[in-house]
Amino acid sequence: MNIAWKEMKKNKAKFLILGSIVFLISLLTFIISGLANGLSDDNASLIKDLPEGQFYMSEDAEQTYNLSTIDNETQDQILSEHTDSTAFSIQRGFVNDNDDKQHGVVFVTSTDSNLFKNVDSGEIILDRSLKDDGIKVGDTLTNNQFDDTFVVKGFVAQKKYSHSPVAYINTADYKQMYRTEEMQLIFIPDANDSLTFSGLESFSNKAFLQTIPSYSAEQMSLNMIVWFLVVISGMLFAIFFYMMNVQKIGLYGILKAIGVKTSTLFKMMWTQMLVITSIALVLSVLLSQLFNQVAPEGMPFSLSIMTTIQLAIVFFVIGFIGATLSGLQIRKVGPLQAIQQGEV
Amino acid sequence: MSIFSIKDVHKSFTNGEVEEEILKGVNLSLQRGEVTALIGASGSGKSTLLTIAAGLQPASNGQIIFKNENIAAYNQEQTRKIRAKEFGFVFQSSHLVPFLTIEEQLLLMLDVAETTLNKQEQQQEINKMLKTVDLEHRKHAYPSSLSGGEKQRVAIARAIIHQPKILFADEPTANLDSKRSKEVMELIQELTKTLDITTLVVTHDEEMLAYVDHIIKMKDGIVMGQGV
Repeated sequence: MNIAWKEMKKNKAKFLILGSIVFLISLLTFIISGLANGLSDDNASLIKDLPEGQFYMSEDAEQTYNLSTIDNETQDQILSEHTDSTAFSIQRGFVNDNDDKQHGVVFVTSTDSNLFKNVDSGEIILDRSLKDDGIKVGDTLTNNQFDDTFVVKGFVAQKKYSHSPVAYINTADYKQMYRTEEMQLIFIPDANDSLTFSGLESFSNKAFLQTIPSYSAEQMSLNMIVWFLVVISGMLFAIFFYMMNVQKIGLYGILKAIGVKTSTLFKMMWTQMLVITSIALVLSVLLSQLFNQVAPEGMPFSLSIMTTIQLAIVFFVIGFIGATLSGLQIRKVGPLQAIQQGEV
Repeated sequence: MSIFSIKDVHKSFTNGEVEEEILKGVNLSLQRGEVTALIGASGSGKSTLLTIAAGLQPASNGQIIFKNENIAAYNQEQTRKIRAKEFGFVFQSSHLVPFLTIEEQLLLMLDVAETTLNKQEQQQEINKMLKTVDLEHRKHAYPSSLSGGEKQRVAIARAIIHQPKILFADEPTANLDSKRSKEVMELIQELTKTLDITTLVVTHDEEMLAYVDHIIKMKDGIVMGQGV
C-alpha cells in the first residue's frame, strides 16, 4: 500500500505549503540565475559568443586590453600561421544620430574574419538595442573623432560589451579615430594555452572575461546570490522535513510497533519529497521559461533550459540529502515511544 | 497448553547514577485460547513486562519462549518479523494511522504481515473482520470521525486481522467509559475464543477481570500471585 500517497492525499494543505515553499525558492533562484546570465551577456556577449580559443594581448599591458598594442609584424606572422585567427580592437565611444542625440557604444573592429562583422569604410553595424532607440538602417551617424560619417548598414542581435551596445566599424576608420596603427588583441579559435608567442600573454575565454572591468565582481556577486539561495533552499528542505518528521514520531513509532520496516518509512519520506519537489520544480521551470519569453526587452534576462535543468537537478539532490538527513531520526524512533506519546 | 512463557525476566533502568530494577525475575506462561490479565498498582512493572513480552523493548536478562524459541535473543529484524506476523497490539490509545480509512488500516496490517491472501481474499477478510467488530458501515471513515469506542474496536480489528498467535493489550479500556470498556473487553474475550488466540492484557480496572480466564498480580517487579 502506498502510505506516502495516502498521507499526501489526506493532508493536502500541509504538503501544499511545503510544495509552495520549494516552488517559490526554486523560482526565485531561477529568476536570479536568469538575471545573472542576462547581466553577464549584457556585459560580455561579444566575447561569450566566440568559440573556445585563446586571446592574446601584449605582456606590457598587464592584463588591461585597453593598454595592449600588438605590433604589426607579430600580428601578420600569427594571422598567416593561423588562418582562422583574427586581430581586433575594442574602444568605448559615442555616435551622434540625425537628431544629434548621443549614444554610448563600444567600437569593435577586426581583420577579415567570420567571428566579427566586417564592414567597409564609412559603414557601421550596430547592436539591435540602438534600433529600439530610433536608429534605422541608412541613417547617418557621426563621431567627433571621425572626420567622415557612418552609414548604418544593419543591426545584430544581442552584441554587448561592458553593458554598452557594440558598433562594428572598418579597421581603417578605427585607426583614424583612435590615431593608432596597431590592434589590441588577437584571437585564435580552438587554440589552447600551450600556444604562446613572445611578448604576448595568452588568455582562455574564461580568463579573458575576467579582464573586463567589473565583470568578475558583478558575476561573483550574482553567483554568490544564486548559490546562497541554493544552500538556503537545501537548509529549508531539511528543516521542513525535520519538522514534519518530528510531528510524525508517534506515527513512526506505532508503525514500527506493528512491524513496518524502517526502510519502508524512509521510502515513504523519499516518495513524498520526490512528488512535492517534482511538481514544484516543473511549475517553477515552466514559469521561469515563460518569464524568459515575456521579459521586457530592456531587462537583461537570459535563462537557458539547460541552466534551469541543471539547477533543478541540484535542487533534487539537495532535497534528497536534506530529507534524508532530517529522516535519520526515524531510525532512532523506538516502537515504545508510540505507546508513551499518546495519540498520533 | 502453554504457547508463550516468560522465564526469569529482569529489567533495569539507569536513572542518573542510580540503577533501578523494574522487573526482578518474572516467570509466567500464557495458555492458548485464554485471556490472561496482568494487574497491579502503578509502578508494579506490568506495562514494562507486557512491552518486553511483545518485543517492543529488550529485557536486561531472562528468556521469552515462543514456539520453543527464545525470542529475547532475536536481533531487531527477527523481532520485527515476529511482531508483524505473530503478534497483535492494542494500546491504551487506539494509535490508528490518521490518514488511512478503517479499511486501509486493516489492509496496511495485512501488507505488513506479508499476507499470502490475494486482493479479493484480503477484501473478504477485511469485510469479515469489520462485521465482527460491528464497523462494516464505517469502512471508509477516517479515525478522526470515530468515537473512542469505535477507534478501539478498529484497533482490535487491526491487531488480529493477520491472525496473530498472541494479542497484547495495554490498558485497552483506560480511555473509555464503563459501557464501552465492557464492550471492548467482551470483544477481546470473544475473539480470543473464536480465533483461538492467546491474549495478555494489562488492566487496572477490576471490573474488567470478569472477562479474563487467568489473572496474574504483580507488585514491585515480581509476580505476587496467580488466579483463575
